[in-house]
Amino acid sequence: MKKILAIVAVLGLLYGCTKPDNYPGPDSAFSGNVIDSVTGQNLLTETGGFQIEMLEYSWSANPDPYYIPSKPDGSYEDTRIFSGHYGVFPTQGAFWPPADSILRDIKGNATQNFTVVPYLEVLNFTHVLSGDTLYMSFQISAPYKQGLPQIIDAWPFVNNTPFVGSGAMISNYTNSSEGNPSKNTIDINSNWDDSLLTKTYTMMVPGLLPGRTFYARVGVRVNDSYKKFNFSPVIEVDVPSK
Amino acid sequence: MKKIPYIIALLALALLSSCHKLDVAPLNIIGDKDVFTSANGITSYLANLYGDMPMEDFFYEPQSGAGFLFQTGNGGRWQCFFQPGALDGELVGPFGGTGDAATGFGFWDYTDIRAINYFMQTLPQYASNFSQDQVNQWLGEAYFLRAYYYFALVKRYGGVPIVKAVTNYPEQSIADLQVPRNKEEDCYNFIGSDLDSAALLLPETNDRGRANKYVAYSYKSLAMLFAGSIAKYGALNYVAGDALDKGFVGIPSADASKFFQAAYDAASAVEGHYALYTKDYPDKVQNYVDLFLDQSSSETIFVRDYSIASGTAHSWDATMTCRYMTADGLSRCYPTLDLVERFAGPLNIVNPDGTPKRFADRADLMQGLEPRLLASVYFPGATLRGLTFDVQRGIYLTFNGSAIQEESNNNNTPNDVASNLMFAGSTQTTYNGMRIIGECGMYNSGDDLTRTGFYCRKYINYNAPQASCGLYQSTESYIDMRYAEVLLNRAEAAMELGNSADAIGDINQLRDRAGAPEVTSNCTIDTIRNERCKELAFEHQYWWDIRRWRIADQILDNTKFYACIPYYVWSEQKYIFLKQIEPYQRVYTFQKNWYYEPLPGGELQKDPNLFPNNPGY
Repeated sequence: MKKILAIVAVLGLLYGCTKPDNYPGPDSAFSGNVIDSVTGQNLLTETGGFQIEMLEYSWSANPDPYYIPSKPDGSYEDTRIFSGHYGVFPTQGAFWPPADSILRDIKGNATQNFTVVPYLEVLNFTHVLSGDTLYMSFQISAPYKQGLPQIIDAWPFVNNTPFVGSGAMISNYTNSSEGNPSKNTIDINSNWDDSLLTKTYTMMVPGLLPGRTFYARVGVRVNDSYKKFNFSPVIEVDVPSK
Repeated sequence: MKKIPYIIALLALALLSSCHKLDVAPLNIIGDKDVFTSANGITSYLANLYGDMPMEDFFYEPQSGAGFLFQTGNGGRWQCFFQPGALDGELVGPFGGTGDAATGFGFWDYTDIRAINYFMQTLPQYASNFSQDQVNQWLGEAYFLRAYYYFALVKRYGGVPIVKAVTNYPEQSIADLQVPRNKEEDCYNFIGSDLDSAALLLPETNDRGRANKYVAYSYKSLAMLFAGSIAKYGALNYVAGDALDKGFVGIPSADASKFFQAAYDAASAVEGHYALYTKDYPDKVQNYVDLFLDQSSSETIFVRDYSIASGTAHSWDATMTCRYMTADGLSRCYPTLDLVERFAGPLNIVNPDGTPKRFADRADLMQGLEPRLLASVYFPGATLRGLTFDVQRGIYLTFNGSAIQEESNNNNTPNDVASNLMFAGSTQTTYNGMRIIGECGMYNSGDDLTRTGFYCRKYINYNAPQASCGLYQSTESYIDMRYAEVLLNRAEAAMELGNSADAIGDINQLRDRAGAPEVTSNCTIDTIRNERCKELAFEHQYWWDIRRWRIADQILDNTKFYACIPYYVWSEQKYIFLKQIEPYQRVYTFQKNWYYEPLPGGELQKDPNLFPNNPGY
């Protein structure tokens, strides 16, 4: 008798409370591109070079922000988003913060492109490989000059995959390399001045391993809240065998 | 006889149903009247709050998502190497990067703040049982504690809700309890005024480990210095956002000098009541070592004590030097060459022609170095408990060429080919009878032997026999505030106020004790800051300093730190020391939004009035 009671009790506990969660899952998708207002092309960036901040106002006026990190090609995509009413805007990137967020509903496969004004553009980007030393030259310009945060420095980035940037690099080629322990970066530390337009910067990355293929680019950053880089395109460098 | 049960029942009925009201105070619950009517009760109430203080002592481990971070006692954290010094370049340690700990761990100790508020509110009702002096002292301690708890919050989050009265639920509605954030400046003003109240009420002296008047002034100088720095430097280097616009983080730069003046005044008030430790003169190395171990030091202002009997002993000895010197445990963080060079500039390890200097004995490296440095860091060749730090990374059969070519530590110069450079994975491996790596390291992989050539010496109890240097067997007191820090606070505040003469005077007291040359002229704010970094190395301070100076994002910017690595050159039977990037080649980067930690998500959910969260989160 006791056993039966016990079994009934256990079954009662197990079956007592089977309320299904009837809220829909994160079954929407949100994707798009962040476009450079100067070139009209996708912003030159890296993985996580900016974030799309999403504030879901369906439930609360003070939602916790949700972030979608950028892909290296300047697009973004998240295929597990809850349907709802959102404020969305790009942030934490090397561009002037947009004045307002875009308010919109997200349901199904939603797409949204944003146009941003980059802090800096890397222009006239050229490179030469001499022996095992890579020289990269470039100029910079600023679409908006008024109130541009101080320009800090320019960095070379070298990696052995096409994914190359401040979060994916062989740091020895940026900070130091054989026989050249000082940084390969170029300090600029200057507010915008039109004389910068005519200046050509040349960056040297010595000691590339022979017989390898590297991918490289340069980045310039300003001292804003996030210190992200405005990049050049990625180049492929085949270092000949010795 | 059958009637007996009935009689018993009737008796019981009579006894039990008589007029005893059951609403009596339970004897097994300690109420206000038990605590607040005796000095012992009140002292224990406060002892609880002292014990819970969010002090960044030996046990402190700042790590995102690690749980209880101010744990004390046996069974708490033994890993003293997970300390803030390993985030900011004083040490290289087990953190994978600065981000491991920069966003905090959700510290939000309003439980203890409520207990303090309750104490302040309740004690006056029982004041008639005690002398006025007693009541003043206890209230003073409560004010001190409240300021200490709030400072721990504000230095992490900026403005937090100031709650100075006991709140009650369900008597008060949820809406009433969802308190809003206060401005960062208001929080610092509140901390300052609580410490003023404490200083006014507290006696000149108190028991060890409890606050007195000058303890309150000392912490006031620190808190006000923080506020002044944030006002001055936070206005230049910040992350934009709502919380900044509304003043929840950031302080108007116009108020910087007000706070610096308050810091200066508070630090000056301590003068004459504590003194730098000089008992072991003229041996300035031994003196500086003992300053951290002597329980009767004249420099100690506020401490936390530990004992094996009470189960509170810590593991500093077992986890800050290598297993060769201890009974148990392991070490994982090591002073950087960058820190060492702050004391003396580049070490004398390179000849004028650029080749590494040859040493017959590793200990010769220590010749002529600042006593304070030698007392803070164990160099190769130093001894502890009769054992020598025989640090050696490997053996070069021959070594040709310059030191600088080895600096990147990529092991790709002609010297570094496998047939010329011996490494070993074990301390027992030998080459022609000689150990390839020392008992004290270094490995190329594994970090329980030094990664930089150095070990931390500060607080290491050299008197303890090796057998008692196991986990939870160290009982050195943690000095949370000492007079040297007050002098540094004063010097920095004076310098910020343009009074460089006072600043130089303060710094020179420290320099003299350290055995370092005095500052004469050319004293800049960087001189003061560098002095602070040196004097307070490994004392869990510099992390907060580089944050309040807003320089963390510049000095930790894809930064790697250097080691001073001894090698044996077989052909010459000599040692060389190479400056090389530490073998893990760890990269440290500080993001600007980390100048403030994010408000804990759970608290934001409970209290929407805490929004907006700090910028960048």
